[in-house]
Amino acid sequence: MAKHDTPMLDELEKGPWPSFVTDLKRQAETHPECWDILGQLELSYEDKITHWKHGGIVGVFGYGGGIVGRYSDVPERFPGVEHFHTMRVAQPSGMYYSTKHLRAMMDLWDKYGSGMTNMHGSTGDMILLGTKTENLELVFWELTHDLNQDLGGSGSNLRTPSCCLGESRCEWSCYDTQDICYALTMHYQDEIHRPAFPYKFKFKFSGCANDCVAAIARSDFAVIGTWKDDIQIDQAAVKEYMAGNFPANGGSHKDRDWGPFNINKEVLNLCPTRCMWMEGDELKIDDSECTRCMHCINVMPRALKPGKEKGATICIGAKAPILDGAQFATMVIPFIEISKENDYENIIDLIETIWDWWMEVGKNRERCGEAMQRIGLANFLSIMNVEPIPQHVREPRSNPYIFWKEEEVPGGWERDIIEFRKRHAA
Amino acid sequence: MAMSVEEVEAAIIEKASKAPKPQLYIKDFYKCDPDRKPREIKKIANKLVTKGELMFWSSGSTTMYARPDRIKDEEGSEGIN
Repeated sequence: MAKHDTPMLDELEKGPWPSFVTDLKRQAETHPECWDILGQLELSYEDKITHWKHGGIVGVFGYGGGIVGRYSDVPERFPGVEHFHTMRVAQPSGMYYSTKHLRAMMDLWDKYGSGMTNMHGSTGDMILLGTKTENLELVFWELTHDLNQDLGGSGSNLRTPSCCLGESRCEWSCYDTQDICYALTMHYQDEIHRPAFPYKFKFKFSGCANDCVAAIARSDFAVIGTWKDDIQIDQAAVKEYMAGNFPANGGSHKDRDWGPFNINKEVLNLCPTRCMWMEGDELKIDDSECTRCMHCINVMPRALKPGKEKGATICIGAKAPILDGAQFATMVIPFIEISKENDYENIIDLIETIWDWWMEVGKNRERCGEAMQRIGLANFLSIMNVEPIPQHVREPRSNPYIFWKEEEVPGGWERDIIEFRKRHAA
Repeated sequence: MAMSVEEVEAAIIEKASKAPKPQLYIKDFYKCDPDRKPREIKKIANKLVTKGELMFWSSGSTTMYARPDRIKDEEGSEGIN
């Protein structure tokens, strides 16, 4: 029996789509506090303002992240959501769970929380929505001791690292995304659980340029698999695609008749650098012009494969659109080897070079990418000890001034004016 | 001469006790010992949390530090919202 009238929310149940309102009503049958979520949301629709307050001192002992405090600003009307805190639970690499584990997680949340979840949040965590302050330590104890899972990051912490499923299921993965994600999660436990930075910082690991975790769009430090040498071509398989014997894109568009496969239309003309062509019935690729975008490999997976010399591209500074608009990460290191043999030392060095700089110069609540934008890419590259290359240039310069550094000018700032005047009369 | 950890701790506590707003960003503590790297200051501040001298105050997206006696309780905190 509904506790509050929710005529506006009820409208959201009438369309053809699954409705969160229906979900909440169903959940309210066993967790009556969910009626108060609906009641408060209806009030927000009427008032056109949120009635959630967020932030505060909630947390578990020793941790400075993983829990986001939520409070109602109308608790007398909706006592069920007076406290309605969110817990962020770190997801395993690649988000692999057994059903037994998921059931145990849901039992835990039914016991101490509202039973409502968000699977998964945009950083990748399993988000458990709605519990009271007095339950936080109880959930945390069972989560860590019985279920062997930990809280993720929130606030100005390193956020829970996330990765694609990598080599576990994908032949295109250019490095072991799950291993590096786990290794760095363990290496940076202090940074994940306690605030460390001017604002949030995210790692994401994608095995190839298809970028299944959208690292380039969402992470401050995106590690995206790539290769250095040539795309591997199986010319016999190319012929099979052209003859229509192999389905394009692994058959993922087969629910509609797109007509016979046309390699010009579907592959060669869609190559962003036009580095592919046919010579007779042989496919040719000028790999020096290839940007490793993966399009041709996606269309003809049985004919083309990434090269053998694999590693990753490091892109830095993506963020969502809160302050200055959404920003993609900037390519900083075109190719770096990723090896578990050296415990990812080269990646850790890069990360800590960024942190040392950003912690020093970053303003409060300024993402790493915003700080990069503020000082300019040329300065950032110099901080990172990276030599500029043409691929770092996004557009021709519009500023005619070049600000030389003293060490870049022969003789520095001090010069012998008499010598100079011998060559350039006043 | 470089400040000892105990001296930095005392400077951080003093800063957190006297700042006009109860919640401070980690960056606000950097000047307590300008010779130390920010990551060292962060470690000292987080140690003070485990000792109960400071506490974390989170807005959800940003985490700040405060003296426990300057924050009333979850509902009554003078937040930055």
